[in-house]
Amino acid sequence: MIEFLYTNAWGAFIVLLMFQIPFLIVFFHIVNKKAFTDSAPSKTKPEKYSAYRYGWTVLVLVAFVVVNGASIKYMPTVVEANAATDKNVKDVEVTAVSWAFQFSENEFNVGETVRFKAKSTDTVHSFALHHPDGHLLFTMMLIPGAGSESALVHTFTEPGEYTVRCLEYCGIAHHAMKNTFTVN
Amino acid sequence: MSAAINIIDKVPFFGGMFRVESNELNPVNAWPSLIAMTSFIWFAIAAILGISMPAIQFLDLGSNWYYQNITLHGAAMAFPFAFQLMAAMSLHRAGACLGKRADDIFVSLFYIFMNVGALLLTVAVLLGFHVTYTVMFPLPVVGVMTGQWSMFTLVLGFTGIALVLTSMIFIYPIKILRMSFFERTDSTLQVAERSMKDPGMIGMVMGVLVLLVAGTPLMLVAGSLLLHLYGIFPAAWIGWAANPIVFEFVFYIFAHNLMEAMAIMIIGAVYSTLPLCTADGSRKLYSDKIAILALWILLITSVTSFFHHFFTMYPALPSTFAYHGNIMSFATGIGGALTIFTILATIWKHGIIPTPALFLILGGFVMYILDGVSAIIISNVAWNFKLHGTMWAGGHAMVVLIAISALWMGVLYYHYPLMTNRTIDDSTARSCIKYFFISYIGLFYTFLAAGAAGMPRRNGAWESDWYIFGVFMLIFGVMLLYAFVLYFLSLRRSKALDY
Ligand code: HEM
Ligand SMILES: [Cu+2]
Repeated sequence: MIEFLYTNAWGAFIVLLMFQIPFLIVFFHIVNKKAFTDSAPSKTKPEKYSAYRYGWTVLVLVAFVVVNGASIKYMPTVVEANAATDKNVKDVEVTAVSWAFQFSENEFNVGETVRFKAKSTDTVHSFALHHPDGHLLFTMMLIPGAGSESALVHTFTEPGEYTVRCLEYCGIAHHAMKNTFTVN
Repeated sequence: MSAAINIIDKVPFFGGMFRVESNELNPVNAWPSLIAMTSFIWFAIAAILGISMPAIQFLDLGSNWYYQNITLHGAAMAFPFAFQLMAAMSLHRAGACLGKRADDIFVSLFYIFMNVGALLLTVAVLLGFHVTYTVMFPLPVVGVMTGQWSMFTLVLGFTGIALVLTSMIFIYPIKILRMSFFERTDSTLQVAERSMKDPGMIGMVMGVLVLLVAGTPLMLVAGSLLLHLYGIFPAAWIGWAANPIVFEFVFYIFAHNLMEAMAIMIIGAVYSTLPLCTADGSRKLYSDKIAILALWILLITSVTSFFHHFFTMYPALPSTFAYHGNIMSFATGIGGALTIFTILATIWKHGIIPTPALFLILGGFVMYILDGVSAIIISNVAWNFKLHGTMWAGGHAMVVLIAISALWMGVLYYHYPLMTNRTIDDSTARSCIKYFFISYIGLFYTFLAAGAAGMPRRNGAWESDWYIFGVFMLIFGVMLLYAFVLYFLSLRRSKALDY
């Protein structure tokens, strides 16, 4: 479950709702009550306000720490750093230029771990790898002259046709900047 | 009679929303009314362009139209609409609270630079300069070299952008700072006296300082490039500024903080308006101290959270900066959490009078918080790699502006009687708020869901898998436009106050 939350963009959507729905319920409840059913000043004691204040701040802090702490393991940057010395990782060079991608290799096997090393030679592009079902596995921004090429590893677990797209607007044929490769 | 009043009188439809009588308050209400009116004209054009985008995809009109309209839509909504509306209301508020004139040379220069700049950019875009409102440097130059648009459109477009930026980064902040600290107080104008200790005033000053500080480096870089384009600076002088990394970083340091500055200002405005609508007439916030603490947290943490725009450049952006950006982005959420507490505690303690003005403000605040959650989620490094460049990011940029605009529109409702001597039409205003909120929720979740499904932003040729999101964008977009039409009508149907 935790793995799904951090490795699929719909996981982000679920966490989004977990924050938003309680907020909406409390907010509308209080506004409704104090605007329509009982707008008289409340008799709540000052100590109670400050208890709520501390409770609420601590709750938010804990939630933020947990959500981010649990995410560290799934950061593509951490995965890439861990794979730095792994000899079994296959390096693939990618060059992005308006409006095409060139790969040094474009056929992979299920179970293979590939390091995509990408750079742009003209303007800002990105290398975005879409799963065959359409969702985004990861994207790397490529700014020309960045000093080093962007690099991330990905282990293919499912066969199919993967699509690489540019997600940084790069001119009048930006949408045509895509390419596919197969995983057997 | 003020020139501003004259212009308002001559403008069809929109003029009727902001008709101002000649009276002794003209120095604080005439120009702000003109500026607000003009911002809504830009909105009307930009909204039609927004609705046109899914329509272009369904009717297969071609990607060129899409890129033209997204550039015009994004630029017009962000600058001459949202920013200009904020400027109008804050100039009016600063004037009436501090007793300073809002009709001097700074105000008219702001107005001219903003609108003439936006017009020049519009012409450049219509002539082919399709770079989106974030410019994507070095795209403007690469586009000329590859024949996508002409050198003329580049010079024209950059000139327009430079005028708009000058109005936002220099003229407007300097005017607000002058009003806050220097100009002479005129007590006849000070109809809603406030001190500089008021959270609303503090938020305003923080906001303009952020604009000035975060914007100046961008002005230096963009100014150097422009002077080169004019043939004044030789190429050797501007190599540093033409480096894409330099440009992108100064751009996002500004652009990110621009959004934060607008947020800090509007939260300040909420802090100063909410107490005026309390049921017990106490005119107090739950706690000024916590309100001000929240503003400080928002200010300090937002400055360096801009790194979240660059997470996906790894390893060119070292991981330390990425983590820093991640943590600071969530830390702004702590400022948000304290704001939520202060607002709810105020409502709980004092009760509220359910007026359209207050409800639009509270609705806008809910929109702002919901958007804030989407912002911190995409600022987590792990999720950012799966959402950056999708409709989630585009939706967040758009929706934060919608939330901020809704809040200012609520503040405008509240102060409308003071600005124009008329009261808004209550029932039209209530239905406006209903449609506004529903369409906001619809647009917001449509964009976020599209992003979660991997739909690319700024893409001129949607693939059929993603059409479904376009259908909802169209439906809720039309509904949002309708909500704005109701807003306009609620002002046009306003009735004269009788004392
Ligand atoms: C009236 C209904 C509206 C509709 C139908 C609409 C639709 C759209 C669409 C389809 C996009 C393009 C998304 C993409 O391809 O990346 C977009 C982007 C945007 N919209 Fe709207 N929008 C509306 C209202 C607004 C409002 C009220 C604002 C601001 C106050 C706004 C600000 C923006 C911004 C800043 C962008 C980003 C442009 C970019 O990424 O270059 N929109 N909108
Ligand atoms: Cu590209």
